[in-house]
Amino acid sequence: MKSFGREGAAGILLVLPPLLLLALLILYPAAEAVLGTLRVERAGHVIYSLDRYRDMLQTVSLRRSVGFTLMVTVISAGATFLLAYPLALYLRFTRGWVSSALMALFIVPLFIPVVIASFAMVTFLENHGYVETLLHYVGIEGLPPLMFNAVGIVLTEVWASIPFATLVLLAGLQAIDDSLIDSARDVGAGPLRTFVSVILPLNTVATIISLSFLFIGILGSFTIPYLVGGNAPQMMSVVMTNYFTNYLRPEISVALAAISFVIAALAGAAYVMGVARRETA
Amino acid sequence: MTRFRMTVGWTTLLAVVALVVSLTGQPARGQAPGVVLYISGDTNIQEMFEKQLLPMYEKDTGMKTKMVFLEHGQGAAGILAKIIAAKRANTTTDVDLYETQPTFIAQGAQDSIWTKLTKDNLTNIAKVDLQRPEVLVSAGFGIPYRGSSVVLAYNTKFVKEPPKTYDQLLEWIKKNPGKFTYCDPQTCGSGAAMLYTAIYKFVKAEDYSQLAFDASKETAWEPALQLLRSLKPAIYNNGFYPNGNVAVLQLLGRENIWMAPVWSDQGVSQRDQGLIPKTIQFTQITPAFTGGDSAMAIPAHAEHQAAGLQFLNWLLTTKPQTVVVNTLAGYPGIQWKFMPKDVRDKFAGIAGNFSPLPNARYQADAKRLWQEKVAGSAQ
Repeated sequence: MKSFGREGAAGILLVLPPLLLLALLILYPAAEAVLGTLRVERAGHVIYSLDRYRDMLQTVSLRRSVGFTLMVTVISAGATFLLAYPLALYLRFTRGWVSSALMALFIVPLFIPVVIASFAMVTFLENHGYVETLLHYVGIEGLPPLMFNAVGIVLTEVWASIPFATLVLLAGLQAIDDSLIDSARDVGAGPLRTFVSVILPLNTVATIISLSFLFIGILGSFTIPYLVGGNAPQMMSVVMTNYFTNYLRPEISVALAAISFVIAALAGAAYVMGVARRETA
Repeated sequence: MTRFRMTVGWTTLLAVVALVVSLTGQPARGQAPGVVLYISGDTNIQEMFEKQLLPMYEKDTGMKTKMVFLEHGQGAAGILAKIIAAKRANTTTDVDLYETQPTFIAQGAQDSIWTKLTKDNLTNIAKVDLQRPEVLVSAGFGIPYRGSSVVLAYNTKFVKEPPKTYDQLLEWIKKNPGKFTYCDPQTCGSGAAMLYTAIYKFVKAEDYSQLAFDASKETAWEPALQLLRSLKPAIYNNGFYPNGNVAVLQLLGRENIWMAPVWSDQGVSQRDQGLIPKTIQFTQITPAFTGGDSAMAIPAHAEHQAAGLQFLNWLLTTKPQTVVVNTLAGYPGIQWKFMPKDVRDKFAGIAGNFSPLPNARYQADAKRLWQEKVAGSAQ
């Protein structure tokens, strides 16, 4: 009992510095900022109300930005997931030089800074860029613009996120015992059945983790939407920066940040539940 | 109230930043560099300082220099807040010389953070025309050392007769859909010029270029914003406004567009370097696009105030001014009569008038309203 108490105290002492740092530099300023967005001066009195949020969402461009951000984030995260899953399955269940080569290749985007990747995508996809020139020689014309709009952001986000999603999913798949898959085959399950009834349920935790991280990562990304996005609608991260530094309206940036925090918290809750499930399983 | 809270916010932020910086180990105070310059502008300004002016100054005087560059003036308001904070806390600031918009200098002047520049501490001030708008706007604390204006660039391959007035330009844009664009005003001055000049079509420039700010006067901008919105379908790529001056020049260079507002200095230097074709020409329209001098001020609480003054005095001599004019294809800070004859002859043609910029707060609001009502509006 006594030794447990000492260990417990030592443990708390060890986590105390990062906890304090978190509280002092993140939680407190964040709470103060959010409260600040609720404080409104009316007839000389400071009252708390949602007025600022109401005014903000009445501005068409800001309302569109929130919707646009959600749309781009959901599509990018979904597309990344749908591309990464087959890749992870292939890497998990196939041996041979193709698999080894792919293993090395798919991870490459992880080591390329997003700024450089974004500029590469711009030269690649823009009007009169490589893709359009190539298609021109094959005789295909009149492609809709691929750059400086939602398509550009989604393509670049997917490109940049695939390695991470694949790694997480692959780790989950590698934790599945081969014998379970073999026994499913033994009782006559085809590949699709094995996937749906055995692999998919056993890989739920990795699925939740990858989806929630993808969602939060893309929601908060700045470099890619800033460099490859259009003028309007813009993603919330870009809008926040503009209102903060260029339009001298920091209170709108903070209110937008609070909204994106709520959205991210939902994904965070899914992650926490997913991890808790792993702990109890 | 909000102003006070903002100031407190900024001060807290800066205190935290200062703490972090001091913890991560700056060079000890004694071995600080000779003069610390905070310069803002586009990359061409950065290159001019890094490759030409600073090495030349170090060679001429044996002094050391350190430049902090604020690209497109990003964070300029923060640096101003930092100087004001130092003044209020009665400590020195590491900003020995600050190049920024004259309106920012004027804002700081209310807090008396600048060194008064006279012929006693800055002998070459005698060469500067003190009636220039930037000197007046900055309440005499800002000294111009360069000026440039936005002009209309067009490709002679496609455009035989360029528009001469803003109205003709609007007409041309509608007649040639997809062949014109301007950059997002918050990312560059050339796009901002397109916006401000549209506003000046409906209001008097002088009402907005002075220091006074009255948000209710912005309702008069509505027709200008509507006008720009009506152009949207005729803009390149169904209303695409690139980020930054360079992106517009690239579109011109690849012949994606045939006409665009660009900075005179950037356009000329890109053409000289072969980055845009020789068929690109520049012209000014009436009413003229906005332009401006950039001004330099020296904080009263600068850590190396004397070094800042020495640098500014040197910058106003013929040799560096010739570098400035040749590099930027712009206007010198000192009067033309003090420039060498060959330089005067070379640039005799471009010396015209440009429209003054609105003050910093009107600029911020104009850019925001452009984003909300022009780019961000549903069609």
